Amino acid sequence: MDTWRGRLLQFLFPVESDRWLTVLRLGLGLQVILYSLSLLNDWNYLFAATGKGLITRDLAEALLSLESRFVPRLGWIAALGTHVSLGEETVLSAAWICLLAAGCGLVAGLFCRCSAILAWFLHLCAAKSGAFVSYGVDNFMTIGLFYLMLSPLSDRYSLDWRLRKSRPKDPQVLGFWRRVVQLHLCVIYFFSGLTKCLGSGWWDGTNIWRALTRPPFNIIPTEILVRWKYFLPILGISICLIETGYPVFIWLKKTRMIWLISVLGMHIAIGLTMGMYLFALIMIVLNVAAFGPDFSITETKGYVAGGRKPVPV
Amino acid sequence: MGRGLTIFPSSFDSVSQKAEKATAGQHLAALNPFRQTLATYLHLAGIETGYGYFAPNVAGSYNLVFELHYPDGRVEYELPRVNSAAAGLRIAGLLDDIGRTRSDALREHMVKMMASSIWHEHPKVKTMRAILGSVILPGVTDFERGKAESYEFLYAYDFSLSDESTEPANR
Repeated sequence: MDTWRGRLLQFLFPVESDRWLTVLRLGLGLQVILYSLSLLNDWNYLFAATGKGLITRDLAEALLSLESRFVPRLGWIAALGTHVSLGEETVLSAAWICLLAAGCGLVAGLFCRCSAILAWFLHLCAAKSGAFVSYGVDNFMTIGLFYLMLSPLSDRYSLDWRLRKSRPKDPQVLGFWRRVVQLHLCVIYFFSGLTKCLGSGWWDGTNIWRALTRPPFNIIPTEILVRWKYFLPILGISICLIETGYPVFIWLKKTRMIWLISVLGMHIAIGLTMGMYLFALIMIVLNVAAFGPDFSITETKGYVAGGRKPVPV
Repeated sequence: MGRGLTIFPSSFDSVSQKAEKATAGQHLAALNPFRQTLATYLHLAGIETGYGYFAPNVAGSYNLVFELHYPDGRVEYELPRVNSAAAGLRIAGLLDDIGRTRSDALREHMVKMMASSIWHEHPKVKTMRAILGSVILPGVTDFERGKAESYEFLYAYDFSLSDESTEPANR
């Protein structure tokens, strides 16, 4: 029993360097910046309240309140702005600027914790208030920023490390949070793969065809797709196998790199062929942070307490 | 599974629906503290939805066209517009939500809000008709035979500036 408990603890709290956290911080910072810039000209239009925007923020927030009244939303910030006589447009613009600044803060590694919390909070507000115009990328950004905000920031490549001499205390906590991200990705891919396996269209290539010809993802001319029609079933089955097999083969040393490259390749392909660049980037960031190459722990001397060796997975 | 979209037999539908409600705490009262806490955590962590993207099958897409009628008899057509491709992906998701919702009232309300935003850009319009349709994509074989994508009419809503009343003209 003690052996199992020990193994479980060893699995959940491995000693890790902070490089994965660097990847996560830099990647999510870049993601937040690109997210903000991609909505630069549509921000107020998408998130305005009744009558001013494409679809009212109030409706999404009212529906959200039916589930929970405690989930952050842009309406809170707008209400706060009203108290200090700020108009809605000004408040929304300020929120956008703060989100961009938080992204820049994450990339630079300046005020890491505050930047991570601010980015998570503002992005969550936008995602929830704009629920009707949200899609998968918003979910994964929330997941990534949620874990980043809770992780033991800052890392050695951040400006905080150099300027403020802030140091995380326990490398096993670093290992624990990486493990959480790893396990979460396994759950995500397994169920994503499983639900695909249950649909008949992934086995005969129909769904690949539909995904690539469906507006607004129809970037590749249909005439070109027709020429590759015999590969569509292979692609569909490959995606099912990659996703469903992820929780097994990503852990095995022999197959980890193959699976990681396959998953990254899949997301790069989704980004390039369907125009889902932000979605591709967030998935690549999460995968590289979670299962990217393990770096030598010896480089973290003076940082790893007790000089414990990392536990091989 | 609960919506009968998978290869499982239909007898699984009701069991799946019950299981989904139970795991999400949806069988509890809306103001139940446990349900509220659980829902809040799920939203904060970004795990309130499943991970079945493009699964079990890739659904069709929807199209919403606004027919603008001017006092002089002129008619113009307008589509929901945004300034970037990234925002365009979001609009596609919005149209999917409008097309797929089972609530007629919600669909009508959402279309009305979009009509209102179009009206802001075209203040001289007298009446407006919003036409929602689904996009029918040809399969590989159909495409090779020369079949192009087509549209199936689903709903139409008429709006007038005087009372902003809606008159759905269902399929």
